[in-house]
Amino acid sequence: MSAAAVPNLRDLYLSESGQIRARYQESGDGMAAVRERAALVDSIAQQLYSTFIAHEPGSAEGFCLAALGGFGRKVLFPGSDVDLLFLTADGRTEQQYKPGIASLCREMWDLRMRVSPATRSLAECGRLYRDNLEFNVSLLDCRYLAGDPQLFARLHDVVVPQLVVRERQALVQNLAELTRTRHTKYGQTIFHLEPNVKEGPGGLRDYNVACWLALISALEKRQPRPPAGLLAQELREDCLRAFDFLCAVRCFLHYRQGRDDNALSYELQAEAAAAGVGAKANRALEPAEWMRLYFRQARIIDRAATQFLDDVEGARSSLYHAFDDWRSRLSNADFQVSHGRILLRQSTAMEDASTALSLFEFVARHGLKISRDAEHRIEKALPLLRQRLPGLPRFWDRLRTILTLRYAADALRGLHRTGLLTILLPEFHFIDALVIRDYYHRYTVDEHSFIAIENLHRLRQAEEPRFAEILAETERPELLFLTLLVHDIGKGMPAENHIVGSLQVLDPILARLELDADAADTVRFLVANHLEMSVALSRRDIFDPETVRALAAKIGTPERMKMLCLLTYTDIKSVNPEALTPWKAEMLWQLYAETINHMNRSLDEERLHPGQLPVARAHPETTGDELKEFLAGFPKRYLLTHSAAEITQHLRMAEALAEAPVQLSVEKRSHHYELTLVTTDRPMLFATIAGTLAAWGMNIVKADAYCNQAAVVLDTFHFTDLFRTFELNPTEIERFQNNLLSVLSGELSLAALMAGRAKPGGMRPAKVTIQPRLTFDDHSSSHSTLLELVAQDRPGLLYHVSSKLAKQGCNIEVALIDTEGQKAIDVFYLTVGGAKLDAARQKALAEALLQDI
Amino acid sequence: MTKIEAIIQPSKFEAVKEGLQEIGVEGMTVTDVRGHGRQKGHTEVYRGREYTVDLVPKVKIEMVVPDDLVERAIQAIVGSAKTGKIGDGKIFVSHIDDAIRIRNDERGQGAL
Repeated sequence: MSAAAVPNLRDLYLSESGQIRARYQESGDGMAAVRERAALVDSIAQQLYSTFIAHEPGSAEGFCLAALGGFGRKVLFPGSDVDLLFLTADGRTEQQYKPGIASLCREMWDLRMRVSPATRSLAECGRLYRDNLEFNVSLLDCRYLAGDPQLFARLHDVVVPQLVVRERQALVQNLAELTRTRHTKYGQTIFHLEPNVKEGPGGLRDYNVACWLALISALEKRQPRPPAGLLAQELREDCLRAFDFLCAVRCFLHYRQGRDDNALSYELQAEAAAAGVGAKANRALEPAEWMRLYFRQARIIDRAATQFLDDVEGARSSLYHAFDDWRSRLSNADFQVSHGRILLRQSTAMEDASTALSLFEFVARHGLKISRDAEHRIEKALPLLRQRLPGLPRFWDRLRTILTLRYAADALRGLHRTGLLTILLPEFHFIDALVIRDYYHRYTVDEHSFIAIENLHRLRQAEEPRFAEILAETERPELLFLTLLVHDIGKGMPAENHIVGSLQVLDPILARLELDADAADTVRFLVANHLEMSVALSRRDIFDPETVRALAAKIGTPERMKMLCLLTYTDIKSVNPEALTPWKAEMLWQLYAETINHMNRSLDEERLHPGQLPVARAHPETTGDELKEFLAGFPKRYLLTHSAAEITQHLRMAEALAEAPVQLSVEKRSHHYELTLVTTDRPMLFATIAGTLAAWGMNIVKADAYCNQAAVVLDTFHFTDLFRTFELNPTEIERFQNNLLSVLSGELSLAALMAGRAKPGGMRPAKVTIQPRLTFDDHSSSHSTLLELVAQDRPGLLYHVSSKLAKQGCNIEVALIDTEGQKAIDVFYLTVGGAKLDAARQKALAEALLQDI
Repeated sequence: MTKIEAIIQPSKFEAVKEGLQEIGVEGMTVTDVRGHGRQKGHTEVYRGREYTVDLVPKVKIEMVVPDDLVERAIQAIVGSAKTGKIGDGKIFVSHIDDAIRIRNDERGQGAL
């Protein structure tokens, strides 16, 4: 029989298809379109069944036609395959109906439908096909079309459920494996410049996976089947809305392309936006705004699928079980760890703001995922958390902890996903799913910030050793992480540029966090200047001394330079996976190294003059004149590295010299002690202080020595208490200070002190051998000779070095002392008799120093 | 047809690109490269470690132009890239036997 035997079928199909398309284009309702199309194909298939099969003898028994896959779910997209199952009671029946099956399929092909037929017996449907588990999965969506209803009922109500119960593990594992493979193919991210709305993470296939897993779970528990393709109980409304949106998009693509093409290309994004596909009332949107809508929906679907997948209990290897058991030991009073996910104990009050944050601290620490149930409990607690979280005391302490833990990005994504991040930082809403629509920015702005934090943490895994070392030297890395979180908020604001926008919202954020003034200044500075190095890389000659000088002047201090370099590194690296090429990383590092070297070598040149009045740094208690006089002659860096309060303290110490010739203070910091000493310059001063510290068993990690025009010396030493002398005996701090005063006044002999106190044997043997290195530089400063010294760090090293300098008649104009692991890195600006060191003096000094180090 | 290969300072790329576009050169291939000339770079020290600045980052621009555009293209590049200092870069010029557009098999100057 031919199509002529089914009169007007072609006309019917074309006409109805056209009307479905017209209705879709009018309404934008993708769900309605796919349902109508499924109903149309139902009708066609049933008519053709009547024509080619139903007339056969005995056709009422032992044979039926069913819909599978998307067709079975009544979700048939314009370009999708039509999956048919010709079900027979046994193998003999199949032969009888072969001609009819062939005719039916041929007719559907002639109608331009892509038919995907399968012929199976009932027994065959009950088998697990390990090399074709997709067929078994497609049976989950089977739907009666025509033929023997009892036969179909046995498939739908008995055979398939029995298969699921018996082979649940294999089915679920297979689905999980297929999904993971697919996600890996798409880079484990929903963020693509041209996403695939069907196969990509967060796409329609992920929705199907979530539905199948829920269905398998229901069948296993002998619960009623949910409506095909819908999971009203399992998935939230926003997931169903996201599915509706994706249906509309896929319909748009199929109609536009005339085939099963699911790639949302750059050009098609603009068309979809202009047509308002999936938008409220089909309102036309700008392409970037429309893609923001897309990513918000994809994120919802991705989350649902991920949660269902994470619930999968596979027959994993015993090795995995052993690892899993180990992770369960991380459980605590509030959180239980099971199968790599965090569950809330019954008693855990998610409504408590502190507990809610503790959960994400737990995620940041261990990198574990939050279970579906735990996320539901957070959602239920949201109304109360909205009231309680903003007032959380010591919020910065909690946020700092999260930011600096290894899996901070995972925790932040969790906070964002559950809505808690925008409660804590309402400003973050500006960049929620915000798209920067060009071929360079792959991620939405919020995701870019999370990835940047992730990349900064990855540096610690020694991905890029040079930059990893810079991170290790950074004094307050938490400020860097905070900057990464907020630096691009301005992109979502109507400001003249995103830096201005970010700075506008920054002050309220910093105020809520109650950061100290220096920290707030640093974050402000980093946000304001986070593009400086990128601009220098792309638009300036980084080997031009003027470029370096200008950058150094703008950045000011080595500490800020380090932070800005890391900020630039991670910012570029997080734009897209290829953005930070080795070429660019090399340029960045060279610019950083040149600028840091310039900062350290030009200290002497850039001094404060009496005419300069640092009004901004003046403390209300000081007068302009006394401050000017005190500051005159100090390097400009002094102003940049000390707060107004510190400068005032130093000024007061200088004023008190009239009463006591040496003023000093010792203060405890978070990881070290800080000795500040103000006195008039004298020979052997620096060496004496260093020696006294060494005699007390203190390890100097950093030191600065400056001298002003009035020959007032300001020395700052950061040291660690190797033997915990001060920690265990706080009264020893005062005794140390008295000791130092006595040594400086000559009442006590330093040599005797050093002979009688702790020996350097307390240090562990060096793990790394540092070759000593001395470099003299007569060009960087017009007044002094720079000596750069690198040596194996040990207690007393600085004393020995500075003693040698003094014995050789050198005056230390400026000293910059630093330690990097077991490496001492010291820079001295030296003069002899007010002039640079001549060649002979340099040679003698080098020989003397090398003997010691 | 002539191929022009220019190795320039990265900071000059935008200016060179605009200059070429102004005279009608639209197609070009741009690569991030590193290299050195006769100077061979120098050694620097950062925190006690030596690093050699010998392979300096540059940008290489390649284009194939009709013969009558060659001189103007060279002048556009030189005009935008020149600073007068060591490291400005170089331009290489070579003859091209043929050019083929893959999409439609078009050959010769029309394929440019």
